[in-house]
Amino acid sequence: MRTDYEAGAAVTELLLGRRRIAAFLALFLFVVVLLTTQFRSSDQRAIGPLGTLILTALLPIQAGMVRVAESGESLWEQFTEIGRLRVENARLRAQVDTLSRETAALREQAASADRLERLLDLRERVAYRSVAARVISRDPGHWFGTLVVDRGRREGVDRNSPVVTPEGVVGRVIEVTPTASRILLIADSRSALGVLVQDSRAAGVVEGWGSGTLRLKYLSRAAALKPGDRVVTSGLGGVFPRGLVVGRIRSVTREEGALLQEAEVEPAAALDRLEEVLILLPRR
Amino acid sequence: MLIYGGLLVAAGLVQVAWLARVEISGAILDPLLPIAVAVGILRGAEAGGVTGLAAGLLQDLLGGGPLGVNGLTKMVVGFASGLFERSIYLENPLLPAVAAFAGTLLSEVLLLLLGQITGLGGPPAAWAPRMLTQAVINGALAPVLFRAIKGVEVRLARTR
Repeated sequence: MRTDYEAGAAVTELLLGRRRIAAFLALFLFVVVLLTTQFRSSDQRAIGPLGTLILTALLPIQAGMVRVAESGESLWEQFTEIGRLRVENARLRAQVDTLSRETAALREQAASADRLERLLDLRERVAYRSVAARVISRDPGHWFGTLVVDRGRREGVDRNSPVVTPEGVVGRVIEVTPTASRILLIADSRSALGVLVQDSRAAGVVEGWGSGTLRLKYLSRAAALKPGDRVVTSGLGGVFPRGLVVGRIRSVTREEGALLQEAEVEPAAALDRLEEVLILLPRR
Repeated sequence: MLIYGGLLVAAGLVQVAWLARVEISGAILDPLLPIAVAVGILRGAEAGGVTGLAAGLLQDLLGGGPLGVNGLTKMVVGFASGLFERSIYLENPLLPAVAAFAGTLLSEVLLLLLGQITGLGGPPAAWAPRMLTQAVINGALAPVLFRAIKGVEVRLARTR
């Protein structure tokens, strides 16, 4: 019984194998014939009426699917484009910030170099020993009163040393430490220095007025003064050397019956924007 | 059979209209091949061969090339998959990926040979990286398609 079953199974297996081979050969032959037909045709593609029928049915569907895909791609491109533009925008903004900072730094350096050049020029013109100093702080309560510079006794700075810029007189040193000095500006109401009006040679005293301007006092009534006249140091008083520019007369006041006349003077040095100054040192 | 015909047409249209737009190192996802492999493994060599032939011819028809190039390769792959029908463990989770990977390599080698015989193929050296990529992406797609084919088979078994 078992032997019959086994023999039956073997026969079935054999028949199955033969059927498979036959099926494979049939399919293979079909494709080879089809391929041969294709390659014999002029454009190596001959789909025949059945192929045309299938394509007629499927191509509209394919076209619709392609349109859907294109719409999807277009949407995706728009979506990613927004992201790309955002990233690009952020990058360009960062670049603009960096360039702006660099430009500002370069402008600052150029301005500083210009100021220092003029300071150096002044240093060569003045017949005094001098030391250049950088302003490191201002009196916050009295904007035009005093300021502190980064040079002190170690560099030879002494109390009452005159302080100037290429534009004109700044003030004098009132406190000295080894590494810094405090300067009393000429605009401070505690300040007074002997001056001459350059054209008329009228002598007077310039005092601070506390508002950024100066008051020229004790001028002879006979002196001919006019706005724009230059005021220079007289060299009297022993603090400032003679001939340093203090400022220009802005207005003249002659009071009825008074023996003297006064004038308002605009300081030559920009006292509210000082960054570097020159401290004149005593001759040795 | 109608359901398999529909599945093949749907897969062929999806490939031509959508998947052909996404190229990965010169390779394009080819869902028709894993389908032929799956049918071969689940239903035997003859069914695999016929499905492969139909899938390949459809691909040739929609793709614009000579009819029979993909038909021949996919028929051989589908048939060859069916030869393992009884000798593999169907529930192995790696089976779909491994079978599709091997089937794709076989298909690519046949395409290469056919290309050399007919003079349509490019230089064989350029094929190697593309063949591997094609096998990997088909292998990755295969588990989903195997699950779908199994679902179809279960449904067909219920209706019989």
